Parts: sequence; structure tokens; C-alpha cells
Amino acid sequence: MPTITFALKDLEKLVGRKLKIEQVEELSGYGKGDYEGYDNETDEVKIDFGDTNLPYLWSVEGVARLFKRVLGIEKGIAKLDSKKSGYQVKVDNSVGKIRPYISAFVAEGKKIDDYLLKQLIQLQEKLCENFGRKRQKVAIGIYSHKQIKFPVHYKATDPESISFVPLEFKREMTQAEILESHPKGKDYAWILDGFSKYPILVDDQGNVLSFPPIINSNSTGKIEIGEDQIFFEATGLDMDSVHLATNIFAQALSDRGFSIGSVEVQYADKKITTPFMFNEVVELDKERIKSVLGLELKDSEIKKLVENAGYNFASGKVQIPHYRRDILHQVDVIEDIGIMYGYDNIKEKPLVSYTVGGSLPIVALIDKAREVMVGLGCQEIMSPILSNKFTLYNQMNIKDFGTVEIKAYMSENYSVVRTWLIPILFECLSKNKHVEYPQKIFEQGLVTVRKDDEAIDHERLAYASANEKADYTEVKQVLDYLLRMLNVQYSIEETEHDSFIAGRVGRVIVDGKKVGFIGEVAPVVLIKWGIELPVAAFEINLTEIFEVK
Amino acid sequence: MNIQKIVESLHPLEQKVLPLLDRFSTFDDLVKNSGLKEVEVMRALQWLQNREIVKLTDDVKELVFLGQNGVKYVKDGLPEKRFLEAVKSKPLSFDQIMKKSSLTKEEMNICLGVLRGKAAVMISKDKGEIKVKLLDQGLRLLEKGFMEEVFLNKKFPLDISTLKDEDKFCLDNLKKRKDIVKVELDKKKVAELSDLGKSVLKSGIQIGNVIDRLTKEIISGGSWKDKKFRRYDVQINVPKICGGKKQHYRRFLDQVRQKFIGLGFCEMTGPIVESEFWNMDALFMPQFHSARDIHDAYYVKEPASMKLDPKLVKNIKESHEKGFGTGSKGWEYDFDVKRTHNTLLRTQGTACSARMLASPELKIPGKYFGITRCFRYDVIDATHNCDFYQTEGIVIEEGLDFGHLKGLLKMFAEEFAETDQIRIRPAYFPFTEPSAELFAKHPDLGWIELGGAGIFRPELVKPLTGKDVSVLAWGLGIDRLGMFKLGIKDIRQLFSHDLGFMRNVRVI
Repeated sequence: MPTITFALKDLEKLVGRKLKIEQVEELSGYGKGDYEGYDNETDEVKIDFGDTNLPYLWSVEGVARLFKRVLGIEKGIAKLDSKKSGYQVKVDNSVGKIRPYISAFVAEGKKIDDYLLKQLIQLQEKLCENFGRKRQKVAIGIYSHKQIKFPVHYKATDPESISFVPLEFKREMTQAEILESHPKGKDYAWILDGFSKYPILVDDQGNVLSFPPIINSNSTGKIEIGEDQIFFEATGLDMDSVHLATNIFAQALSDRGFSIGSVEVQYADKKITTPFMFNEVVELDKERIKSVLGLELKDSEIKKLVENAGYNFASGKVQIPHYRRDILHQVDVIEDIGIMYGYDNIKEKPLVSYTVGGSLPIVALIDKAREVMVGLGCQEIMSPILSNKFTLYNQMNIKDFGTVEIKAYMSENYSVVRTWLIPILFECLSKNKHVEYPQKIFEQGLVTVRKDDEAIDHERLAYASANEKADYTEVKQVLDYLLRMLNVQYSIEETEHDSFIAGRVGRVIVDGKKVGFIGEVAPVVLIKWGIELPVAAFEINLTEIFEVK
Repeated sequence: MNIQKIVESLHPLEQKVLPLLDRFSTFDDLVKNSGLKEVEVMRALQWLQNREIVKLTDDVKELVFLGQNGVKYVKDGLPEKRFLEAVKSKPLSFDQIMKKSSLTKEEMNICLGVLRGKAAVMISKDKGEIKVKLLDQGLRLLEKGFMEEVFLNKKFPLDISTLKDEDKFCLDNLKKRKDIVKVELDKKKVAELSDLGKSVLKSGIQIGNVIDRLTKEIISGGSWKDKKFRRYDVQINVPKICGGKKQHYRRFLDQVRQKFIGLGFCEMTGPIVESEFWNMDALFMPQFHSARDIHDAYYVKEPASMKLDPKLVKNIKESHEKGFGTGSKGWEYDFDVKRTHNTLLRTQGTACSARMLASPELKIPGKYFGITRCFRYDVIDATHNCDFYQTEGIVIEEGLDFGHLKGLLKMFAEEFAETDQIRIRPAYFPFTEPSAELFAKHPDLGWIELGGAGIFRPELVKPLTGKDVSVLAWGLGIDRLGMFKLGIKDIRQLFSHDLGFMRNVRVI
């Protein structure tokens, strides 16, 4: 969740206008951000950009760029002030399978102070963690430009062959050592799992800049306050994403008045100058605007709205900014037109088509069954569907009969999908030993049983009665009444089930199908749950009963 | 109430106890003379007190009882006395005293302490052996007798308030020793007739002249014709009972379902164990989307994959890669067909919407809703559950636009938040464009977030339906709405196992 903080004063400077905090709140809505608060003392504004697909907004510069367009201070695509630096990054084939792409630029002309450094690090972190999928897809390095001898070389080497002092450390380490003992190495080692060579970035004199995507070197990879020349690089698995992250960063610095020097990235088979202009264009169809937003707009209105939304517009074609890659279809642009027009200004229309409502066919049976149970004085309960094997089997004195298990669960208590309901009723009974008896409870709900390659959901209903006189007769009466009221013919067959007392457990048969169990619960189970009263219970499969009916 | 009415309403137990009250006041006396059980007298007294006929007070006494050792010492004599008697004739060693007086080691130690304190014995070394010798004071004690012994021979229990100073002194000494005496509080009810009570009593209580419980015999025998019924106190507090009841949250969800049906929506569903295909891919969420991390969704061990319609998979693959001829460029990556079959627990009800769109039963125009359990990797706390309900749905019809979506959302606000004041803000969902968040101004709660909505992207509608038709999609935060309605602050209470809570939670 990218939540960013910045100084209101800084935002005002970038926008070029005084802003009320309510205005900040309202304007952040245009970027799908939630204003989270303002601290009077520190002048800090906090905005949460949640799940948005607009990473360019994860910096104060990007936010200011949006606000300027909404307010009409600027329009269209922001200009990137960039010249060729003449510098090169040479990409060796060896990174091909590991981390193939890199892009870079240099920036100069402004001194970096404490606040700006924090802002740059914030953008770097948000881009790496969220957009860059915890650095796997994209990782970013920023360096002091002065110490670098170009061209820079990007290659992969044996993990033991090169040593350097990683950031915040005092001694030289090999790449293998870094993954093993440097805190960042340990955090991100998973990205390089299974590779025998690791990426490294060195300058032309062989000085190590960084070990992407893990850590920078302590000598070049550290920006000091007062620095006015920086070198930026992004590496990753996906070329577009690497370019986008680079463009977002370059534009943010450019907005602040840095001049950007582009860098030529030399791959074995191609040369790419970065920041890379995607030069994407989307054709806009007036009819589509009408069909999506319900708005009939004049050409001039469309142009104005499109430009307010930060695109360039010419002869029906929308140019996409180089710091955006979220436009796949014209509907993406049309949404922005709608946002600029104002969702509040679009008139609501009623749905006029006549449709007949209805529940799932089985719901009628389910609801009637529940009604009967409630009429018998039973308390309905509803529980999480997630449970655990200890509850479902160990506590019930039986073996696993086909469970859907979660691969990586948060808590063992919720590590499988429940396969039957009686243990869930027991969980409830065991938590209510201090509550007045008799306790008659039932739950109706889904269970999932794994059978061969399939996970099958069933609607079940289970009832348990805990009281001094709970016995087979009592639950049989309840079951009999329930099934009679549901007009279900049934029979009971003797069976064995280790949760129940031998000789006091039956299988419920409907139309030759085994649809449930009924019986007195075995003392061994009662003891496990710490329940010192008799419990009798049944569980029936409503899905199967429904299919038979 | 006049006295006559009071008399007519007296319960048989009250009728028995009341006449005794001009002669007896203590609870014990009343029990003895009424011939009733203690609990019956108690109930009668309480009812009489409720009617202000009787004033009940607690007579609290501190009573002294003999403890286990106390009883023993009354019988065998105080240990210190036995000790002195043992050494009366000549000094003895500890072992000899113990043997002679048959005292325990613990008692020996206490005796030594007590007796040395009273200067009754002294310990001396005689030819290297430690012996206890009787002193004059000890002899005098033996002759005069111990005052503690005198105390112990009184009749117990003793009322402390009646004790003399010297007895109190003994009591304090004995209290320090193990289990000789114990002091307990004794609460006794004392009943006193009020002025009203005296008048009632004076007016005379006729026992047997009124009907208490109406029986079959009374009804058919006709004796009710010339008898009065005992009057009841209709304001009486009765013991609470609890009946059968639907679970509180389930009841709310039942109402939600009925509302949707009433609005012309058809219910849809899908399996708990879903494929990545229906849960995400069919919704045009790229396979590199962060919501697909192992720590965002619950992937399933077995069955590890799910069968899918190869034609639909092909369509969705093409949509992800190149946009499926919708005018979209797609996500431009290599779609992993094997991965799309992977299984996980459904993370969003929208999976059911995707299934509905591809279903042969889909009707256009059509409105669909689902109230489905969904699962997410989350730390469980007062606001998060890893297992929760989502209410989602679609409206499919040619020519629907954002205005209709707003109309739909306003209708939801009216139905579920009892307001027509709504606010719609831009939002991002991977499967809708435009996307919006719905806020409604609830009459009591102010602005609340009701849910999210949007128009399904063409990249998912066309491959699933084969058509380029408008589909409005929406989801309501039903758990939060339920919490508002039920006045619940902790989301875990939606699935409460607290029977006391469930029995008492209101149905409206």
C-alpha cells in the first residue's frame, strides 16, 4: 500500500499556489488517493494511494503534477528536460537469464538537501517494493555521479569472484557473503534463488557500484547531503517496467529543476537511450465516450478534458505520458475524462429493464430446514469456514477423510477448509461451558471435501444437543421432525463411527444415498473437548438431499 | 393497593409465613414454626418485602466454632498441659516428652514456644543432653489449670459479642494456632412487620378460600364459580428464558438476499476452491499482479489444479497477451496456461461474476448477485477476518453507461444505508474501467463507505461472453454493513461462538 508523506509547503512550491488542506484532500481524489491527514507541527501531509496503478503519483512531484493539471495551471504531458549525456551502460550477455534489463540517467543542477533526499528515498522504496514487486521486477540504485568512470558495465559474475564494501558496512564481502550475512542480502536473497551467477554493476575502472537488486557499494552508492550530481539506474525482469520506473524518477527530478542527461544502454543486439519515450498513442472514439460515460461532448470539450487529465491530444489521438503505462484501451482514457468532468456531474439514470429476481434453487430448502430447527428451540450459529485438522479429526477421534489444505497459512487455527460441521459445533459448546444448559445449537453451511482431484462443496446442517438428558432418542426426534417437515423419506442404518458411541450411531439414508450421521457422541470425544455432559448430534448433507428431491 | 387486594394476592407460602410474623422474627424460628422448607420461607419473605409488608434486615453475627484440633484438645487436653504433665516429675529430653505425652513434633514446637513464653519450663543441658525442666510457674499452671482450656470447654458456637475480655484474650491466642478455633460470619435474616403488614394481618387472612393454580378439576368441577382467584403481582420479575433463534449475522444476510431478489437480481455462486483462472485471469488481472502473491491469497495444496474449458482459457490468454480484438493492447506478456489452472480459496466474489458471464444460463438483460464466502491472507483482529462475506454482482445489458451505474449505486444506498445522499469517488480495480467507490450518508452514522463498482473492462467481457456488451459490476462491504446494523464493533463477533451473546442479541 503506497502511502506517501511530504511537506505541504513543498507541494505548494511545486504547484506554484497556496493550497488549503481541504483542497489537498479533494484533489487527491482525482488521483484515486485517500487523504490520510495533515500534521500541523511538521507540515506533513499523508496520502494513501492504495491499490492504484499510477506509480507516478507516489511522489510529491507526481502529486503536484496532477494537481496543476486539475487546477488548470498546466495541461498535457509534462516536459522532461533532458539532453544526451554521452554516457553509456554496457550490458553483458551474462545477465540475460538472471536480470536482463537496465536503464539509467544522470541528473544535475540542484543541491540535494535532507528533505529532498528523504523524498527520493521514499519514491525509490515505493517503486521497488510495490511496483517492483519487492525488487524482483524492478530495483533502483542511486549514486554519487562524480566518482563513476563511464562507461558502466552491467554483467553477471561468479558469487565468490568480486568483493566490495556494501552500504553501511566496513569490510569487503563477496556477493555470496552478502546474501548470507548482510541484512538486505538476507531479505532479498530469494530473488536470486537458483542462479549460479549474480548481477553486478561496475564502472570502467572496475569499482563496484552495486549488486542489483540487493545492495549498493558503500563508496559510490551513497548520496550525501549537498550532492548535486547523481547517477540513477533501474534493473529488472521486464523492460517496460524498468523504463517506466526510470521515467517516473527522471520526470520527478526534472519537475524540481534538475537537468536530466540521458544514458545510452548498449545491449548485445540493440541500443536504447533512457529515459525511454514510449510515445504511445490511443485513438479516442467519441461514440465510445458516449457509451461509457453517457456524455455527449463536443470536440473542444474532449480536448480540454483530455489535456486536463495530463495527456496531449491531437486529431482524435491521445498521447500517453512517458510516466504512465496503465493505458491499455481507450476506456482507460475515457475514465480519466469522466474523472475530470467530475463523477458528481454525471447524471444518474435508473435501470429500466425488467428482470425477475430469485435465489439459488437450494436456498429454499436450506431456509426451510433452518426455520424448522429454530422452531424446535435451537440456537443457530455461524462459524468461519476455515478450520484445522486437529479440530476436525484429532478432537473427534477420527482420521482425515479428504481435506483441502492451505499451502502457506497465516495461522494454524485457520489452515484447512472444514470438512464437516459437528466439530465446529463442539468448538462452540466447549467455549460455553459456563453458559446455562440445555444447549441446543445447529449450524447450516458449506463444507468442502477433497475427493481424488476434486474439491466438492456441500451444504450441510448439523445439530448438537448438550444437556444431562441428551440421548439418541432426543436427536432422532429432532432429525425425524426435520425430515418429515421437509417431506424427505429416510431410513437409519447401523454403522460405526469413532466420534460416536458404538451401537448408538446410525447412518442417515435417503433414496439409497448416505446423507449423514446421527448418534450419541463418544465420551473419549467429550473428554477431549472438556465437556462433562452427554452430547447427541447429527449432521446431514442438504446438497445431496436437494438433488434427490 | 388496598388491603383487600393484597390479601387476595397472597401466595400460599406468604399466607403461611405472614401470620407467624407477629410472634417470630428470626428466620430460623419462622422455618421451625411454619413447617416449610428454608427456601420456601425465604421466597415468601422476599415477596412480602416486595409488597412492603415486611422489612428484612440482616442480623450479622461473628461466631466462633471449634476447629478440628479444637475438638481433639477438648477431648485429650491441651498439648501444653500434656507437655507439663510429662515433665512434672523430672526433666526429660524431647524424645521422652513426645513419647510420654504422645504429641506430634509440630505440637511439641508450639508447646515449647507457649510454655517458654509463660516461663513455665526451661531448657537445660544435663550431661551433654538437652532436657526440659518444669519451673515453678509451670507447676502453678498445672494446678490452676489453663484459661484456654476453660475457654475450649464452653458451648460452641460462641457469639463474639457476648465474650468477656479474658475470653477474647484466649480466643486471640488460639486463633494464632492451627485449626483450634475458627471465626465465621453468620448472616441471619430478621423479618419485621411494617405498618402495612400489621394492618394486613389485622384484617385477617383467610386461608383456603382462594384459588391458587387453576387446574383441570377446578375448571370442570365448577368450583371456580363461587371462589376468588388469588391475585397475582403482574409486575413480578420472572426468570429469563431463551428460545430458538437464527444467528444474528445470518439473519441480516437473509434480509440482504431478500432485498436483492426484490430488486430483480438472481443469485449466483461458485466454488470455495477456485482456479486462478476464474478468481483472477478471467477478470483481466495480469498474472504478475501483486494480489496473486502467496501471501495475499490462500493457495491450496491438493487438488493443485482445476479443469477448465480450453476455449475460454484460449480466449483469456489472447486477451491478456493482445487484447482479444477489443481495441486493447492487452498486458503484453506470455500468459502461463499451466498457472491459470492453479487452485486457491476464492479471494473475491467477483470470481462468481466471471463464471456467470461465461455461463450458458446468462440472460441479457440480466441482474445477478452473490453472497459468498471469500478468503484472504490476513492477521485476524477487530477489523480483519481471513474468512469473510462479500456481496458482489453484475448488471448486464446493451447500452448501460456510467449514469446507470450511478443510478444503481444510489438504489443500493437507499436500500442498504437508508439514504439517497451518495458520494462517488474515482477508484481503481483491475477489472473495471471506469471504477468508483461508493459512500453513503447514513442517517445515524454519517458518511460510510458502502462498496466499489465500475464497468467491466471489454478485455474480460468479450472473451467470456463473446459480445461487446455493457456490464456494470459492484461489490458491497457487507460485513461492515452488517456490523453497523447489528451494532457490533469487532468483526469477529459476526461469527461469534459466545452462546450468551447470541441468546441475548436482539432480532431487530
